[in-house]
Amino acid sequence: MLAFLKHQFKTFTLLELLKGMVITGKYFLKKKITVRYPEEKTPISPRFRGHHALRRYEGGEERCIACKLCEAVCPANAITIEFEQRDDGSRRTTQYDIDMFKCIYCGFCEESCPTDAIVETRVFEYEFHERGPSIMTKDKLLDFGDKHESQIAEDRAVDAKYR
Amino acid sequence: MFDALQGWLSGYIFDWLAILITLLVQAIVVIMPLMLAVAYLTLAERKVIGFMQIRMGPNRVGTLGLLQPIADALKLMNKEIILPSQSNLYLFILAPTLAIAPAIAAWAVIPFNADGVVVSDINAGVLYVLAVSSIGVYGIIISGWASNSKYAFLGAMRASAQKISYEIAMGFALVTVLMVADSMNLTEIVNAQKGGMLNWLWVPLLPMFVVYFISGLAETNRAPFDVAEGESEIVAGFHVEYSGMAFAVFFLAEYAMMILISFMTAIMFMGGWLSPFEGIPLLEDMFAWVSGFIWLVLKVSFLLFLFLWFRATFPRYRYDQVMRLGWKVLIPVTIVWVFVVMIMEYFKFGPWFN
Amino acid sequence: MTFLEVIFYLLASIAIISGLMMISIKNPVQAALWLVLGFIATAGIWITAQAEFLGLVLILVYVGALMVLFLFVVMMLDVNITQIKERFTAYLPLGILTSIAIFAIMYMVIGPDRYGVDQMPVPKSMPADFSNTKLLAIPLYTEHAYAFVLAAVLLLVGIVAAITLTLRRRAPSVVLYQDIDKQVKVQRNDRFKIIKMDAVVEEDVKPIDEDEEGKK
Repeated sequence: MLAFLKHQFKTFTLLELLKGMVITGKYFLKKKITVRYPEEKTPISPRFRGHHALRRYEGGEERCIACKLCEAVCPANAITIEFEQRDDGSRRTTQYDIDMFKCIYCGFCEESCPTDAIVETRVFEYEFHERGPSIMTKDKLLDFGDKHESQIAEDRAVDAKYR
Repeated sequence: MFDALQGWLSGYIFDWLAILITLLVQAIVVIMPLMLAVAYLTLAERKVIGFMQIRMGPNRVGTLGLLQPIADALKLMNKEIILPSQSNLYLFILAPTLAIAPAIAAWAVIPFNADGVVVSDINAGVLYVLAVSSIGVYGIIISGWASNSKYAFLGAMRASAQKISYEIAMGFALVTVLMVADSMNLTEIVNAQKGGMLNWLWVPLLPMFVVYFISGLAETNRAPFDVAEGESEIVAGFHVEYSGMAFAVFFLAEYAMMILISFMTAIMFMGGWLSPFEGIPLLEDMFAWVSGFIWLVLKVSFLLFLFLWFRATFPRYRYDQVMRLGWKVLIPVTIVWVFVVMIMEYFKFGPWFN
Repeated sequence: MTFLEVIFYLLASIAIISGLMMISIKNPVQAALWLVLGFIATAGIWITAQAEFLGLVLILVYVGALMVLFLFVVMMLDVNITQIKERFTAYLPLGILTSIAIFAIMYMVIGPDRYGVDQMPVPKSMPADFSNTKLLAIPLYTEHAYAFVLAAVLLLVGIVAAITLTLRRRAPSVVLYQDIDKQVKVQRNDRFKIIKMDAVVEEDVKPIDEDEEGKK
């Protein structure tokens, strides 16, 4: 009986609804946590998976040895690799294309790379308007790596002990 | 003012033409601010809900996002209106018109201030608002049927069933107001509430005030009663096939109805344009300069804020729960309260029946 | 022509056209919509004849509630039009005869003999604040109270009958019912228990020894 009355009281005074409204009312007055993107930016993890880059050794030789592990592991089949044997017997790529439209930024290529050649950088602010430029060729990737090498090296160093 | 216009016009042209032009001018005077209010209500909604979710809401177009509604309108006007194949084109185009026409027509009897600032001061004003807003169902039901889409059809079925169910509770709530105020004229209903905040009808009719507002939420298909457009179940309900300006018209109709319901609640339960400080010695003089229209707008803004607050707070009802609330809770409550008010009225019980 | 006459002829022609369309159009949903238009035009005519209460109630009850339910049924049923139209010409003479008979009876009952212009005087033009709602209510609740109550009881019986006809509970093995009252009464404690337990702290991951390759 008491439970019944209690239930009816709660139902007709709309107590639970008012409680809910008090909560949203409190949030209404709270300080807003929105980050206004182009002016403000959130901190980015060193493991961030953004635009791809191909790296070089300090001497200037490219790291990629065309082992094709990344091509094999890529779940979206975004990577295409052709290779040749150089005169000195080393194995290097002639073609290293990443179709950025296909890529799902899973980071498997980076994980699988034995020489840390293909990496994903912090850069995520880029866009394509048509199909052609969306394919990142070897030259573009190497250039991109050269441009951001200091940042890439720093990120790898921070993350090194966990790898 | 409009009588003078009509008199001046009839000196030059036919009488009926003069009346027609005067009516048109009156309509425009009401509709233009209404449409502006609707536009900024959409912005207010996004802002309020954003704030309650500790976000900012739109703040890019113009300072504080104040030009956002205009940008939205421009976008919608430029979009193509897609006519679905196999749909009934006449009815498909007619449906948005049928949705917005009643939402605007009902404003003819809403008084905005004392001294008869109203387009048409008819004596069955409450009944007129009820009757005209009940026509709004047809816009929904026709749009659902003419779209030739099962989601739209299901949404239309839900919306119209919900609307006609809650109209009954709404009507009963209004009956108690009529009993206490002793008139169906909206101006007289407000005048019957004179004499301070405690003489407003929300005090003796508090349950009816709540019931009316809840029914109003359900009538306008607003959250938490927006089963008609439940995104997770039936995409967007009756207007899923509409795009561009045809969709915008439905949108306008929904928000115009929201404002209308708020106006009706303010007029019937919260003393309309009467000052809340009436009868309080010091405050009354301090706020004597505030026009009645401003009080009315403040009350309406508060009620509209409640609409948005509810939307930000409550999850959507399930369809059978909506029907249960309407038929098994609100209607019995209103019927009981009609009898309570009848007895109070008969025995002159309470300070408000003198 | 006064403004009121323009309105009257407009509404009257709408009413007649929509009535004709209602019986001649093939699609049942559109026929119902034409009927709605006819109702609205009729209500308009009543309002111009100073019967605003009746006019508004006509819209509220017939247009706002009844025809919506009607449309529901018509939309849901998926009526096969060709089947209905099959014997159209065969029934046509009978239909014409019936309609003439009905029209004749109506003419005799409410024709000019009884309700003509010379029989019924032009109603007095009432002031704007005149309420015919009250005027209708007073005889309804005093003189005709008995008939009024009887009609109300009849409607109640109708409601009860309709509900009993449709209310049938089938075995739970056939149809599953939801008891919303029960669902609403459910408390948090009925559904789940909050258990206090000690927090489990994971051990830190030890960094791998940095060898030549790790250093790159």
